[in-house]
Amino acid sequence: MAHKRIGKILSALLASVLLALTMPHFTLPFGSSDISAVKAADEIDGHSFVAESSRYRLYMREDDLSIVVEDKETGAYMESAVSYDDGKSNNTWLGAMKSAVVITMINGNDDTQQADLINDNVSLKTTKTDKGFSSEIYWSKYRFGMTLKVEITDDGVKAFIPDDSIHEDGDSYFIGTIAIYPYMGSSYLDDKEGYILVPDGNGALIYLDDKEGKFKSGFSGMIYGSDVGFDESDVTTLLKERYNTISDAEKVIAPVFGIAHTDDGIAYLAVVEDGEARATIECIPNGVSVDYNRAYAKFILRKTYTQPTSNNSTAGSLHIYESERSHSDLGVRYIFLSEDDADYSGMANAYREYLTSNGYLNKADDSYKTRIDFLGTEREKWVIGTTPVVMTTVDDIYEIYDDLASENVTDILSVYKGWQKEGLYSVPISSYSVDRNIGGKAKLTKLINDAAGRGIDLYLYNDALLINPDEKNATFNVVKKINKRRFEMTTYMDVYKKLLYIIPSRSEALLDRFVKSYTSKGVNKVALAGITGNLFSYNYSGKNYSRYDTQDSYSGTVAKLAGNTDLIMEQPFAYLWADTGAFLDMPLYTSAYIFEDESIPFLSMVLKGSIPVYAEYVNFEANKQEFFLKMVESGSFPSFYITKESSAELIYTNSGDVYSSEYSSYKDTIREYDEQLGDLNEMLGDAQIIEHEILGNGITKVTYSNGIRIYINYSREEAEADGITVDAMSYEVGR
Amino acid sequence: MIGSAILPLVLAGIIFGSTAMTALADAPYKTYTVDGYGSVTETQTAYLPYKTITKIGEETLLTPTDFTIVNDEYIYILDSGNARVVVSDMDNELVMTFGEGILTAPKGIYVTKDYKTYVADRDAKAVFVFDKEGNLIETYTKPTEAMYGEAQDFLPLKVVANKSGTIYVICESNTNGIVQISPVEGGTFLGYFGTNATNANLWTIIWRALLTDAQRAKMQSNIPATPDNMAIDDKGVIYTITRGEHNDTLKRLNIAGVNMIETTDYPDIPAAVAAGNHDNVFVATQTGFIYEYNNEGDLLFMFGGSDDGKQRIGLSTKVEAIQIGLDDKIYVLDSEKAQIQVFEPTEFTAYLHDALNLFSKGRYEESKKPLGKVLEMNNLFTYANMAMGKALYKEGDYEGALKYARIAKDNEGYSDAFWEIRNIWLKKNLTWIAIVIVVIVILWNVTRVLHKKKHILDKPKAALAKIGEVKLIKQIGYMFYFMRHPVDGCYGIKREGKVSVLSANIILVVSIVFYVINKYFCGFLSKTVRDGSFDVLSDVGMIIIALLLIVSCNYLMCTINDGEGRFKDIYCSLIYSFAPYVILTPIVFLLSHIVSNNEIFFVHFGNLCMWVWIAVMIFISVQEINNYTVGETIKIILLTIFTILIVALLAFIIYVLWSQVFDFLQSIVGEVVYRIGS
Repeated sequence: MAHKRIGKILSALLASVLLALTMPHFTLPFGSSDISAVKAADEIDGHSFVAESSRYRLYMREDDLSIVVEDKETGAYMESAVSYDDGKSNNTWLGAMKSAVVITMINGNDDTQQADLINDNVSLKTTKTDKGFSSEIYWSKYRFGMTLKVEITDDGVKAFIPDDSIHEDGDSYFIGTIAIYPYMGSSYLDDKEGYILVPDGNGALIYLDDKEGKFKSGFSGMIYGSDVGFDESDVTTLLKERYNTISDAEKVIAPVFGIAHTDDGIAYLAVVEDGEARATIECIPNGVSVDYNRAYAKFILRKTYTQPTSNNSTAGSLHIYESERSHSDLGVRYIFLSEDDADYSGMANAYREYLTSNGYLNKADDSYKTRIDFLGTEREKWVIGTTPVVMTTVDDIYEIYDDLASENVTDILSVYKGWQKEGLYSVPISSYSVDRNIGGKAKLTKLINDAAGRGIDLYLYNDALLINPDEKNATFNVVKKINKRRFEMTTYMDVYKKLLYIIPSRSEALLDRFVKSYTSKGVNKVALAGITGNLFSYNYSGKNYSRYDTQDSYSGTVAKLAGNTDLIMEQPFAYLWADTGAFLDMPLYTSAYIFEDESIPFLSMVLKGSIPVYAEYVNFEANKQEFFLKMVESGSFPSFYITKESSAELIYTNSGDVYSSEYSSYKDTIREYDEQLGDLNEMLGDAQIIEHEILGNGITKVTYSNGIRIYINYSREEAEADGITVDAMSYEVGR
Repeated sequence: MIGSAILPLVLAGIIFGSTAMTALADAPYKTYTVDGYGSVTETQTAYLPYKTITKIGEETLLTPTDFTIVNDEYIYILDSGNARVVVSDMDNELVMTFGEGILTAPKGIYVTKDYKTYVADRDAKAVFVFDKEGNLIETYTKPTEAMYGEAQDFLPLKVVANKSGTIYVICESNTNGIVQISPVEGGTFLGYFGTNATNANLWTIIWRALLTDAQRAKMQSNIPATPDNMAIDDKGVIYTITRGEHNDTLKRLNIAGVNMIETTDYPDIPAAVAAGNHDNVFVATQTGFIYEYNNEGDLLFMFGGSDDGKQRIGLSTKVEAIQIGLDDKIYVLDSEKAQIQVFEPTEFTAYLHDALNLFSKGRYEESKKPLGKVLEMNNLFTYANMAMGKALYKEGDYEGALKYARIAKDNEGYSDAFWEIRNIWLKKNLTWIAIVIVVIVILWNVTRVLHKKKHILDKPKAALAKIGEVKLIKQIGYMFYFMRHPVDGCYGIKREGKVSVLSANIILVVSIVFYVINKYFCGFLSKTVRDGSFDVLSDVGMIIIALLLIVSCNYLMCTINDGEGRFKDIYCSLIYSFAPYVILTPIVFLLSHIVSNNEIFFVHFGNLCMWVWIAVMIFISVQEINNYTVGETIKIILLTIFTILIVALLAFIIYVLWSQVFDFLQSIVGEVVYRIGS
């Protein structure tokens, strides 16, 4: 028996040696930090040395412009091209795996053809610079081209395609999408240990294990949410042939993704810096078409869409593509991370650093507050027209604040919804006119000031995107899709069946008017929604506007608003973070895709300690304790949606889905959460999360920059970590 | 591939992704329930995806079609593609496999609490029984009894067994029902069980009578549907599901095979059924939706969904079986994904189950606490409101019971509570009511006496008479006379000009107002529309359109049939025929606010009388205005109805044609604009 075992060990050893030889990209862990620098190789996998920064070296292969980034200190490196071929992929896939730039073309009705640097006759004019290289790429067959610029930076690499370098000279092939370095940091099956960071919800990980071909597709999420300007065709089996039971996927709030090879101690966080408003992030595990794990950004320049030629959808329609491509520079910054930092905590730290150093995130007051939102007036149908349903008046709010103060709940932030004349769905708001059923303007103004005097921030909710065609004139200034059909949002409610979007310039004008009349009363707290968490292409008076236009418009509007008011925002996209005093409605979960292995509070890790982050409403959570622990884990503050009256009153209104909100039912929960989370966050101060670990036994450990450690036990049994015992479904603080 | 084979050896690192993936996640699907009117509404997540079992130890499954969980200890999976039974523990470790070489095309499995396994094998035409160790101990084949049917094949699909060992088998293409076999003498056929009724409605009966034999043979056969799946609970109650049986899709059969529930919220493509731990029952559809019902067939939750390439957790591709664990976890077997998806109840559902349990045992007082928790989390949850109403009623808190019953639209509960409240009110105020009545009577008599002596009422009477003399008032007041003397009344309309179009219009407007008030503001028990829904414009529009159609069609028919009536006469007499409506509706309206279900008969009866009266009036006025005989009148009424149908048809055709033309023009313009634009 013994010699058999020795034989086995020998063969395993031999195999591993062979493996090391046959698989050149397999790096043995050099990880020990006493080797201060590894000698520069002239070449890695046919890539020759181009430039270096203080920590990293850049190598490039001339024929496909693929790059290798090497950590000078550890010798670990990541490649943009697949170097191990399992022999199963066809030329198209091989082209995609190796090329620096991969394009899908639009040719007539076909938008699936690929152009890359391997399979097509392409001319490359590459110039090396002292920081990297620049290459003019031209596909003579398709008659389009662009310039790819790659530069090494202190913390990694930036790949960039200037908008003015993209030119299409032909009239049969057009650029649909451009992916830059789609296989950056890719790995084969379970060759590497580590994971892909997916910007789904708060954050998710896909482990780099062998998925055994279980999955048919990977994550594909449009940065800043899907585009309502284009109809997405989608097959869904409906419940009772009517109800779509599947929730919308979470929006991609921040344009980031990453890959960590934890065994090699190298990772990157990619920030889509330019052109992110019209790009998707793709995070694809092995087994989906090919056996490689990969993550990349795909920029959309043109899209096909269906142009109906009549209002009756069954009649004729044309399948066409945008005549004009969208214009923006395209760029991805890869921030490389090494050794202990080569994990998602490192990525979160790097992203925070990136945001703050570039002024994209400003420190706001993030002391603990319990968020208690109120619903003022809603409307239900009546014999003629509608009649108000008054849920919480100004006097009720005074009363609730007093009552909470007697329970020692004083650190409060409130957003008042449905305060405007005619109630919640009387949108858009164009002036500071208050519904008289809740008390009127003078009373509300006094409340805001009185509350401020007691340290309570009361913000007025303003959805600057929606317009209600049943209440307001929606003939002009409403968003039309690219196919020139009006965009309508179905509410599935009884009173107002559909809502429309208003165009960005109109949003700005109305906000201006509102803010003027509002601030003239000496109050300035605004909770902005709608335009903060939506981006779209649209058509208005014959002209198409891209998501870039909408983004520019919104950032201008918001910047101006932030100058005039005390502004907080509902689920703002990353490009607006610099201007918000708080992040409302942070998702604590993911979209729960089957290929995601772990859900992590990535965005919370980035934002904690900089701006206060409020979770989604506690009201509608079915598992209250688990949700509470999620808030502890992510450092988020709790949010409640409160009405004085029973929510049964709302049954016939458009807020009929608010099935639980009565103050008396929530009073105890508010007090409890305020006490526990208040104490916890007092300890944390404005410390940042520097490390987040999922330990094997159901415990998640969160380490803050001030040394405080929080242990959260999600399992149904008591568990122990670092000598601290944590009860089931509970948390402990370690110092 | 070399890399993947050896790397684990070299690195021996963390092994990611065990066979079961547990992830803390929000549900990607919404959960729905129904409101009191049976409309679908969203509610809290009832069950969250807990884990997905794709492998048992190192064994993978191939199109598994059925499974049983025994005592929350073992999972017996019928691995049909591999024709074997795979036994797993609750941690997905392989315990054993058996049945290889015996099973050919197994479709259903059932395992008893003492680990006896029954497997229904279609192609082997047998039900095999295995002992705890997986040894074959018994085989049931086609019953030999004549009662079974000589020509009837035995193709078992699903099997369950009760405590005494009697087995129930669903067989393919056996429409007689579930085959019931007792273990006596190696299998004795006991008869058919739970047969579905054929659905022969009046229309099919008439239709079939009209057809020839050949045509009848071609028609879809009218034979009862075979149940698709079944389950048995601890008490031996059998649940069956049958596709396309509408309200009988889900059945709960007692020992005698009698269905004890009826559900209006049935799934369309049910695949499997399972009994829960709280007298509740679960149905999974093939498309991946899961329905939970209480013991009376009221829908509690619907959730889940079909994957359709969305790749979200908890969605299914093809569901074949469902099981419930002792801890209320739901296990759903997906044959196409070859996996078992496990769902875990949320806090909300746990409270609800607690309440279900207590309530079904009649412990109302105790059930109030969990019900309160459920309602705190969802004020509008119908079942909880209904149960809370009943619990409060039992306690004597009728006001509370009324409030909850109203939210739940629980007609019966509302009526009971209302009866009690009214009773208490009556008891409390009986003396006062009596006093008031007595006072009124005395006052009445006193005035009468005084009037006789001193004529104190002369002035008011004269004033009233003066008002009565106003022409319009007189014309409107004619309605009372018309009601009582329609024949004379018609003469008055036709010859004496007793009414005018204006007075008729006023009566019409009043009728419409009464109609609208009565429709939307009558007592809850007689209400025919949803609370909170108003559609007055279309109500008024419908009335006016119908009126115009009837009057004009009737006029057209009368003019060509020697009718004497002028358009005005026909219009006025029709409106005046509705006088009983104007007079009785307020009474019916008031009654509807003070009656409970016990006396609602009065409201219905009042309505019936009113409509009969109106019909008689219309008939008489058509006859009198046009000077017809009875026979002519009947003919004219039928002709009028026919004309109305023709006009409606015509209007419809014109509408369709015009919309086509309009659409065509629009698409031409649309395309031209697009072509020019580009």
